[in-house]
Amino acid sequence: MAINLVKGQKIDLTKGRSGLSSVMIGLGWDPVAKDKEKKKSGGFLGGLLGGGGGGGASVDCDASVLLLDEKGKLQSKQNLIYFGNKKSQDGSVVHSGDNLTGDGAGDDETINVNLSAIPPSVHKLVFVVNIYQAQQRKQDFGLIQNAFIRLVDNSSKEELIHYNLTENYAGKTSLIPGELYRHGSEWKFSAIGEGTLDPDISSIANKYL
Amino acid sequence: MGVNLSKGQKVDLTKSNPGLVNVTVGVGWDTNKYDGGKDFDLDSSVFLLAGNGKCASEKDFIFYNNATGGDGSVVHTGDNKTGEGDGDDEQVNINLSTVPSTIEKIAFSITIHDAESRGQNFGQVSNSYVRIMNADSQEELIRYDLGEDFSIETAVVVGELYRHNNEWKFNAIGSGYQGGLGALIQDFGLN
Repeated sequence: MAINLVKGQKIDLTKGRSGLSSVMIGLGWDPVAKDKEKKKSGGFLGGLLGGGGGGGASVDCDASVLLLDEKGKLQSKQNLIYFGNKKSQDGSVVHSGDNLTGDGAGDDETINVNLSAIPPSVHKLVFVVNIYQAQQRKQDFGLIQNAFIRLVDNSSKEELIHYNLTENYAGKTSLIPGELYRHGSEWKFSAIGEGTLDPDISSIANKYL
Repeated sequence: MGVNLSKGQKVDLTKSNPGLVNVTVGVGWDTNKYDGGKDFDLDSSVFLLAGNGKCASEKDFIFYNNATGGDGSVVHTGDNKTGEGDGDDEQVNINLSTVPSTIEKIAFSITIHDAESRGQNFGQVSNSYVRIMNADSQEELIRYDLGEDFSIETAVVVGELYRHNNEWKFNAIGSGYQGGLGALIQDFGLN
């Protein structure tokens, strides 16, 4: 049984699960009211009223991970794992690739993490979802619903943690769903659920330099 | 060097520091590490408790709107609305020698103002602590870092000073509550 978290909740991950090492972090989201948008975009009024709705372009969300050191800093660009740099240097964190639409049920993007292979210099994995070209496309997280982050044990396929981001993130262009972090010799997960105004992933990464 | 306590630990205060009369109890916290969130307003409060563990009257609940109690022996120095900056965010000064004899315990709490409507809890608060200083020398005597002890709670009783054989001791309680300050007030016998 997965544990459903609420915003702010912190939970042990490896404590009591000594064999746990290979985990999948699944991130998902859905476009809001897609049917309505389609109908509108056909007509004259739809063209006028749809102006605030992203101009009809689909929303492309991207998941990324920042691998931070003990002081919460990003030591090099290699420690930003995203669709353009899908694998950490030691192979302990692997992004499975870009999903351009967010259509369909289940995870939209997944990241595999081998906890025991993460170098000791990395203390925290911050997961980020941001909207690709949010400014150019005039899009924000008001166009997205049902965002979640979940964590699955790759060997048993058991879902261990699930956190639904239930707040209204309208106006925000980046989301920080959660963090994996070291606590003593164990790993814990924190349900962050904060939206930020960062227009892209490099803007977020710059904050940790 | 102060003594670092862990949750549940009890230590002597006046016995190991002879002559200690004036203490400052400081509490601190950091919040809001991501820029999207609402402001946090954490409040510290003090409950002066009789032998039955309850406040005898509303006067024994010391907070930003009732900053002095215990016949002037306990003084809250005021509200800090953002938690910004280093060091203690709020402080309470206590003259241990003039605390009325009916007061057996002095409990310290930290609560999040408007936690429910702002969707906030202690999982979003980091580095919170309580410490006790000798008010005259400013030496830190006792410190309890709350660390990872809390996440979804909105009120925490961080610790209490209590009488023990004519001395004062400190107990690092670390009990969390989900009902905010309201739950604490009821728990301590007030409405």
